[in-house]
Amino acid sequence: MKIAVCIKQVVTRDWPLRIDESAGWVRDGDASFEMNEPDAYALEEGLRLKERHGGEVVVCSAGPARVAQVIREALARGADRAIHVVSEDLPTADAGVVAEALAAALRDESFDLVLTGLQSDDQGFGETGVILADRLGLPHATIIMEIAADGDGEGRIRVKRELEGGWFQWLSMPTPALLTIQSGINQLRYATLRGIMAAKRKEVRTVPFASPPPSAWNIVALRVPVKDKQTRFVDGPPEAAAAELVRLLRDEARAL
Amino acid sequence: MPMPSSDRAPVLVIAEQRAGNLNPVTWETVAAAQALGGAVAVAVAGTGIAGAAAELAAADVAEVLVLEDPALESYTPDGHIAALASLVEQERPGLVLFPHTYQTRDYAPALANRLGGVLIPDCVGAEVRDAGLVLLRPMFQGKFVAEVAPAGPGPHCISFQIGAWRADAAARGGAAATRTVPVSVDGSTIRQRPEAPFQEAKQAVDLTQAERIVAVGRGIKGQEHLPLVQELARALGAEVAASRPICDSGWLPMDRQIGSSGQTVSPKLYVALGISGAIQHLVGMKGSRTIVAVNKDADAPIFEVADYGIVGDLFEVVPALVAALGE
Amino acid sequence: MLIVGGGPAGLAAAYRLATRHRGPGGDPPVVAVLEKSREAGAHMLSGAVLDPSALTDLMPDWRSRGAPVEVPVTEDRIYFLTERRRIPFPVTPPPLRNHGNYVISLNRLVRWLAGQVEAAGVDIFAGFAGAELLYEGDRVVGVRTGDRGIDREGNRKATFEPGVDIRAQVTVLADGVRGNLTKSLVERFRLDGGRLPQVYAVGIKELWDVPAGRLPAGAVIHTLGYPLPHEQFGGGFLYALPDGALSVGFVAGLDYRDPGFDPHSAFQRFKRHPLVAGLLAGGEMVRYGAKALPEGGWHAIPRCHVDGALIVGDAAGFLNSMRLKGIHLAMQSGIAAADAALDALEAWDTSAERLARYAALVESGPIRRELHPVRNVHQAFAGGLLPGLLYSGLSLVTGGWWIRDPMPAHPGHQRMQHVRGERSAAPDAVPVDRRLTFDKLTNVHYSGTRHDEDQPSHLLVQDTDVCRTRCREEYGNPCTRFCPAAVYEMVDARGGGKRLQINASNCVHCKTCDIMDPYQIIDWVPPEGGGGPRYEGM
Repeated sequence: MKIAVCIKQVVTRDWPLRIDESAGWVRDGDASFEMNEPDAYALEEGLRLKERHGGEVVVCSAGPARVAQVIREALARGADRAIHVVSEDLPTADAGVVAEALAAALRDESFDLVLTGLQSDDQGFGETGVILADRLGLPHATIIMEIAADGDGEGRIRVKRELEGGWFQWLSMPTPALLTIQSGINQLRYATLRGIMAAKRKEVRTVPFASPPPSAWNIVALRVPVKDKQTRFVDGPPEAAAAELVRLLRDEARAL
Repeated sequence: MPMPSSDRAPVLVIAEQRAGNLNPVTWETVAAAQALGGAVAVAVAGTGIAGAAAELAAADVAEVLVLEDPALESYTPDGHIAALASLVEQERPGLVLFPHTYQTRDYAPALANRLGGVLIPDCVGAEVRDAGLVLLRPMFQGKFVAEVAPAGPGPHCISFQIGAWRADAAARGGAAATRTVPVSVDGSTIRQRPEAPFQEAKQAVDLTQAERIVAVGRGIKGQEHLPLVQELARALGAEVAASRPICDSGWLPMDRQIGSSGQTVSPKLYVALGISGAIQHLVGMKGSRTIVAVNKDADAPIFEVADYGIVGDLFEVVPALVAALGE
Repeated sequence: MLIVGGGPAGLAAAYRLATRHRGPGGDPPVVAVLEKSREAGAHMLSGAVLDPSALTDLMPDWRSRGAPVEVPVTEDRIYFLTERRRIPFPVTPPPLRNHGNYVISLNRLVRWLAGQVEAAGVDIFAGFAGAELLYEGDRVVGVRTGDRGIDREGNRKATFEPGVDIRAQVTVLADGVRGNLTKSLVERFRLDGGRLPQVYAVGIKELWDVPAGRLPAGAVIHTLGYPLPHEQFGGGFLYALPDGALSVGFVAGLDYRDPGFDPHSAFQRFKRHPLVAGLLAGGEMVRYGAKALPEGGWHAIPRCHVDGALIVGDAAGFLNSMRLKGIHLAMQSGIAAADAALDALEAWDTSAERLARYAALVESGPIRRELHPVRNVHQAFAGGLLPGLLYSGLSLVTGGWWIRDPMPAHPGHQRMQHVRGERSAAPDAVPVDRRLTFDKLTNVHYSGTRHDEDQPSHLLVQDTDVCRTRCREEYGNPCTRFCPAAVYEMVDARGGGKRLQINASNCVHCKTCDIMDPYQIIDWVPPEGGGGPRYEGM
């Protein structure tokens, strides 16, 4: 099984990010970065599939030079080789541009399976994988909780998809296919010393991505969300306050 | 031949249904469409959807479009994309709006791609300004709100976060015309083969999906007082969660922890009991729609993010709340 | 060759090993660096003003290689602070003159240096802590890395990865101030025998973004006095970086007597002084961190060579507390250790006798030249600010000589006095406004600290009964105050009384608890590799 895993480098969760001077993006020049967490689960799932079925795991990341960090981490965890689509413009780009950057790199190779995380922790589109599937002409399924070991008996891949409210659904589709992986589907392995050593000798192919297509939208401004109303303090003895709060939640906030 | 766009509704809402039952979040999207102004059409796709269409016809919209095809009996992304792409090409709306459900996330990005655009996902607001439409969407896990202006010729596909608009704000106008739109989907082009959905208890608690959360902090003082909190959670139909010290002490399992080292949640209702509101906790819950805080200390930072506050002893307030909810 | 710790000392040693001429036909030594932080530099925190001499010795072309050493010191000021006023020192004492030095971010410098070291062929393993030393007899033969994937009860998780034994001809311990491996090695061989006990300070720092025009980039301010009483060692600093970035910090000697003292509070109080508050007004705190530093100087440096191992940098105590600088000395010690190790490797003899060349290089090189004349400075300050200042001035004339040389000293934790009566002499808590002043927990958030929550506590307290009984009475649980990251708390115990709660995941790896605990029952050991703060620009 030849598996591509798309990984994104994002600003570290909880990094005290600030908005930049243009008020259109964040000051990430001094930020710390890490592998987008859902993508880490996608990578782990790819590695487990390879352990089960043999084959190759290729990680693909699109972004500026700094994304080499997460590529190296993925190689250390066990990916066989990597493709780095190099472009400075991608961090702020829309999901269509990012999907095109990835598609440009993946089109030349015939993968059986393309995995992505469910969404990214930064822009949080949750759609790059689906767009990528459409650009590559692949069938897809999203929010995958499990990949059946043996397919559906007809040479198709069988996956368990999460629906809302505790509902799930199995579905099958032909390969090659693209799956977006839900966080928590597996337990992430640690990079080992041996893996880190081996990563240095693995191939990282860089692909230039020169002219991003026109954007589908523009970020006009980025701002810190402001609370639009004052805290309403409910006073009085506990019974009265509780009754009033329940009334407010029911009639005003409609939260009950 | 597609009709000129001026003859048709500029805003198209894609309803969501399963087994003929309308997903009520559709009404939130109808409300969003109405708020943007202009004529609104609502489309519903599937089989056995006459009831859903009739229900939608009560909305104050220009018309309800019905896409009925055997290939749409069970939801598949390929089927939905084919049917709706055909619909949009026929109707030529300026905007296509979706509720940001798991199903929308499954197919709408590819549909938008098919239509030559990109879905603007998970929006929490929309404003029509002089310069045009501006959408608000959270970024960096809710740390920031981005104002986004659609670019390019359109149609612009936009999905709205559940709860961003109120379903009961959707104007009902009596009887919208219902029109069947011919779409024929070639079943053999649908590559996904779905099986029947089933329910399953998750192994781990996924608080991110909870509608209501009652969270408890240090103010609870001891593990023996937790039943008090659980009782309130039951009365509210809420999940129990906690701030770090509670999970650190082993009083609740670690998958109940909200905050920087736990889960980030944004439920409809978040009730914080005896939680002072350390920044590590706030980053995990301040995106909640309605926040209630009960704390003895009126200066506790939790009140800075709360919508409703009771300054008082949770051991008195919580039983009173349980009683009030029982009435 | 194995180097434990990817700070300035360890990386200087690595770079020197990888680049020095190796003799005809000789294979370059295989060099690996273990670093407990998730990425190189993430645990690095300093003021920092850099004396670039060691960097030049190590890598003469550092400028053209893009070292983030770009802001020359443009002005030096020292103030003595009273609660409301500031009194400028008429002249800046020569050791504090920073002409030719640079205001830097240590963690950026180290991250850059790590890139240079890797490019030179060295493997840097970030996210791996050295858990224990490996011995054959009394000879150090390497390091065992920590297990990963252990839950808080000590059970193996599904992802368990056992620690790995890394064997080396020479192990260089660059594990930083109060490093856990160095501590065990020093104890095992009594390497501090006949030396003065090491004394420490803790530095707490915030990085601020302030409105333009407050201080020109390269401005350096040091303060003495307020908020510390005269008998206490410490002071504040403000270093201006470009674009309105301002490092503001406070160093407090970890040999204070009042168990009620809280270094974090002192720092907050320092920020409220008109001098500092004026510079910070309208600005925004963007980062926070804390780190201990070895202040004992020349007489407190242990023997740094044993069979198979060397100790370098802050782990050994190479810091000039009079100049408030240690980065360059750490690098010099790394260079010397690399040279000694190469010599030993070439001779096929890595015994302590052969590695003693390291001590000789330290003796004959820039380290002793700088540290020996100021050998009694910190000890002099033990008598209070005035004697300290007098001695510091005098030592410039006498070359550091004193009637009792070395000046006697005690470990800092022994100086702490029992709680007297009801109240500590420490002033009341500083009001927290979350604009200028912050509580510890909020500050910790700005350190980027993260640990896997499901792991055993890495702060080993041998006997927590002492906490709720003796310590509570005798010292009022000073750990709840000296820790700048709110790790230690006394909380209500079931059935009355108090118990110690350790919030290990707040730990910023400053080591203050290991140093200052009056009973010396706290052992700081490395948590699962990769955990800890994420400093950036610090």
